Amino acid sequence: MPCDPTQVYQPEADTFLLLEAAQEEVRPGDRVLEIGTGSGRIAAALVRDHEVVATDINPHAVFCARKEGLDVIRCDLFSGIRGRFNLILFNPPYLPTRPEERIDDWLEFALDGGATGRATIDRFASSVGDVLSPGGRLLLLISTLTGLPEVQELFSRYGFAVSVVRQQALEGEDLFVLRITRQGD
Amino acid sequence: MKRSLMDILCCPVCKGDLALRVDKEDPQEILEGNLHCAACSADYPITGGIPDLLPPSTR
Repeated sequence: MPCDPTQVYQPEADTFLLLEAAQEEVRPGDRVLEIGTGSGRIAAALVRDHEVVATDINPHAVFCARKEGLDVIRCDLFSGIRGRFNLILFNPPYLPTRPEERIDDWLEFALDGGATGRATIDRFASSVGDVLSPGGRLLLLISTLTGLPEVQELFSRYGFAVSVVRQQALEGEDLFVLRITRQGD
Repeated sequence: MKRSLMDILCCPVCKGDLALRVDKEDPQEILEGNLHCAACSADYPITGGIPDLLPPSTR
């Protein structure tokens, strides 16, 4: 089974911050979807008590996450997924990355948010409504490096309301967990 | 993958239904097989219990 852990984003401070937020936010009966599950650490913490589907584009990540007993799908964001989920989790690639900084291995997908750091987040925001149930919630991990006001504005343009539910200061950046719902929910 | 996952899978390109072919399974899940989109003439393999829904052009 091709799971090279050096090619998979291992749990870091951002993982644990989103995990904490997810454990607090999740409700009985939620259908949970985790995009970019990486090692599967977050999804695995929820799967005992909830229906969880985990995805990743990285072929090593999907096999590593499967070892946690998860239902895992290899796909690009929501492409290939239909249906509605009450709680959608995403620790996205959020670092602004210049072309000369690219590392060209599978970890690239975990880190590289394009020139602004928001390229994948923007793609996520533009299509997440298709798989979010009425009254559904998103939890998204970002950093000061990604641009909090820009991310809030981006989601607002797609018709979502954003609130910060977690903040953690690290060296060189602050992490945030954003709780995102449809405007008017 | 569990058979029940078929409810939430679709073709990543046209979002249409996929036809399942099972080559190997155990009592809990499908281990090897294929998901076929007739509209796109595209195949998405199931390998080691994991469906691979990346469009052929991006693999």
